[in-house]
Amino acid sequence: MLSPDLVETLLRQALEGGADFAEVYAERSRKRRMTVRSGRLEEANSGLDYGAGIRLFFGTEVVYAYTNELTPEGLREALETLLRAKGALGRVDARGAGGLDFRKALPQGLHAPRVPLSQRDKRFRLERLLEAEAGARLAPEIREVEASLQEWEQEVLIANTEGAWAEETRVRTRLYVLAVAQEGTEVQTGYAAPGKSVGLELFELYPPQEVGAKAARQALTNLRARPAPAGTMPVVVGNAFGGVIFHEALGHLLETTSVAKKASVLADRLGEEVASPAVTYIDDGTLPHAWGSTEVDDEGRPTERTVLIEKGILKSYMVDRLGHLLTGYPMTGSGRRQDYTFAPTSRMRNTFIAPGNKEVEDLIAGVEFGLYAKEMGGGQVKPGSGEYNFAVQEGYLIRKGRLEEPVRGAMLVGKGPETIEKVVAVAGDWENAPGMCGSLSGMVPVEVGQPHVLVSEIVVGGRA
Amino acid sequence: MTLEEAKRYLLRRAKALGLEAEVLFQEERELSLRAREGALEEIKEARQGGVGLRVLAEGRVGYAYTEELSEAALEWALAEARENALLSGKEGSLPEGRPLGGHDLLGEGLSAPLEAKKEAALALERTLREDPRTRTVLMGGYQEREVRVALASTRGAEGAFRTGLAGMGGSFVMGDGASLKQGWDFRLAKEFHALDPGRTALELREKTARLLNAKPLKTGRYRAYLEPKAMANLLAVFAQALSGKNALEGKSRLLGRIGERVASDLVTLVDDPTLERGLLSRPFDAEGTPARRTVVIEKGVFQTFLHNAETARALGQENTGHAHRRYRGTLDVAPSNLYLEPAGNLALREGVLITEFMGLHAGANPVSLDFSLQALGLWVEEGEARYAVENFAVAGNLLELLQAIEGLGDQLEWEVLGAAFGSPLVAVAELSFAGA
Repeated sequence: MLSPDLVETLLRQALEGGADFAEVYAERSRKRRMTVRSGRLEEANSGLDYGAGIRLFFGTEVVYAYTNELTPEGLREALETLLRAKGALGRVDARGAGGLDFRKALPQGLHAPRVPLSQRDKRFRLERLLEAEAGARLAPEIREVEASLQEWEQEVLIANTEGAWAEETRVRTRLYVLAVAQEGTEVQTGYAAPGKSVGLELFELYPPQEVGAKAARQALTNLRARPAPAGTMPVVVGNAFGGVIFHEALGHLLETTSVAKKASVLADRLGEEVASPAVTYIDDGTLPHAWGSTEVDDEGRPTERTVLIEKGILKSYMVDRLGHLLTGYPMTGSGRRQDYTFAPTSRMRNTFIAPGNKEVEDLIAGVEFGLYAKEMGGGQVKPGSGEYNFAVQEGYLIRKGRLEEPVRGAMLVGKGPETIEKVVAVAGDWENAPGMCGSLSGMVPVEVGQPHVLVSEIVVGGRA
Repeated sequence: MTLEEAKRYLLRRAKALGLEAEVLFQEERELSLRAREGALEEIKEARQGGVGLRVLAEGRVGYAYTEELSEAALEWALAEARENALLSGKEGSLPEGRPLGGHDLLGEGLSAPLEAKKEAALALERTLREDPRTRTVLMGGYQEREVRVALASTRGAEGAFRTGLAGMGGSFVMGDGASLKQGWDFRLAKEFHALDPGRTALELREKTARLLNAKPLKTGRYRAYLEPKAMANLLAVFAQALSGKNALEGKSRLLGRIGERVASDLVTLVDDPTLERGLLSRPFDAEGTPARRTVVIEKGVFQTFLHNAETARALGQENTGHAHRRYRGTLDVAPSNLYLEPAGNLALREGVLITEFMGLHAGANPVSLDFSLQALGLWVEEGEARYAVENFAVAGNLLELLQAIEGLGDQLEWEVLGAAFGSPLVAVAELSFAGA
């Protein structure tokens, strides 16, 4: 996208202006989205995002600019705006002298698509979406179905004054199905949305009619579900997207974005026991074709597998460049951003609880009265106080160790560090699922995951 | 190419290809100054822009956008939009356009010097830190955004406007013993000079400190008092049920209920894009329909959905001029300044004062309107707040909540959540609370 000469000129000019470190990030992303409803293509959009961000460090002070003008003039103007804002325009610092020797890291194609997006036309995609929609038409109560395909091909270039030069093309596809069930005035929804860092082989991995049927079954279950009970009780959290609870309750608290500012209740606690010994928690950016995987992070460093908690003991945080400068912890390839309009911060990639050795049936059998949270919606956390919440998308009551009727509208509420100490059993059926995570550097694709886990006590928000 | 050149190019090429086309340009300038521990930790200054295309081919609509304004990129966008239209199964049309003029809704609003803005960011952060209970400031600062929107179509639409917002706020942690609370707020205005960093920081301190040393709340049904910003969050969810697009797609529980009572007779809900100094006022919508005030619910009776030309035609109702589009997206419906009219008949008695809801995107279903949300608040007795309560969730249905409104304060406060949502303090007869 940009020539090494141009990038080098910019980086050197930044050093001349007194910056201690400078980075150029350029991006060209092709995005397409198609939505099917009522047996026809309802809406289709295609787009090209094209821009660059320049980040300078003066000590731990960061200045950031972005622009859509990827010309020498456009980029120079963006850089000069920054130097002016910092009051450093026109300065000459000797560090800008001499050349930069870029170490070019060639992309290895670890997550390259097997069926490239260009291999099939839009009609092929439309037919798959129609299959998904048809798959959701399970019963007359299913009144509306919406099936969408999102595809995203992002080319990035990251270069910095330490000589890093990384390029990567990231391809992601995701299928969304929303089913609306209605009976009388009662309306409930169901949702399924598999996504991976793959091309159109997504449809082979997740046959569209099965995805549609899954969304519809959930909507029908919720239609006959009663409001969830309210109160404090044991909860068995389902595998795969169930991991969102610990993404919120634990993961965000381990990002240097909040740790470096002591704005996390888990700051300064390396080596301490912060969770039940049943918990090993890992953030792995290298999982092949996972939704949150990349070869390099958005600061140009190779991604890693980072063991955050091992048998309850805090082993590592997730560290980006700024976090490293502020804390001294080694970088973990965790610098991520939504796109060129954001400076990177430390973010999760694919974060999950490692499998244990219990059987799912045993987890449920041990509960006298509680909730089985089979499928989760999203959630939120305040790292500074650890307070989190997340919604149960599909839930069932447990009585005397048996799964009973479905309940809806349950919201789990608590404080992360307390909840993670109350994980009393972990099953062996580990799975991950995709989601979008919003934080300081925008919305980024992540996976969350876990096997089934039993938490001895959580506040369940339902109808009192 | 400049945006002006790109516009002429796209309209000319669309005509040559036999397409009707509408082009929407947006250009944004952003300045953000984040302070921490007495210094600026991040300065961000940037520009972004792009062009969104809506084309009509053989009676059907397709979309595309590009931020790259080279001839090749514009041709790619036109070809994609045309292909998307030809595959579409839905009849569409582009509205008859008209000259809309040029409008400046910002004036001198953001014109203060950079140094004054830096000083304001530092002052806000300093005032947050001055409280001995402040443990850490995640960020405190200033942000401004200026937007230029231009619309043109092969059917004669032509117009532009400039608007923008300035805001100050921050996020920080307060503690008292083992009790910790993270506070966050952001105040917005049309002008830099309308912002007051010291006062904003003091109010944020006070709002957060009152939540410390919270007690658990017993599970039960209580009267609820919703602070304006908490209610504004619920209005943002409810607004999705007001969307003519969602109604058309079977995703609104208000479908078929025009003329019916859907809320307490205290409830009058208005969207007014023409409000003078309104945070998100605009002279025309994303299709070029001139803006006007719309009463959505009048004394509890549902009057109209919010519509763009397409949804109004499909449902056989009047277009209210609520077409919404950002260049990267497709045509949608959205309010501008949507507010619940104050009544001034509210007095605190006993119940829970809800100061904040958390997890709205997950815990509130915009289709069923059921909600189950984590909340923070204060226990109210004998007309005054006695102590903070925490670790609880509030559940219900937004339509039931609107029907149970028994009192409204006299002061509107605004929160920007995509659109601007305004509300006074609200009293709700009874809500379900899950806690200890």
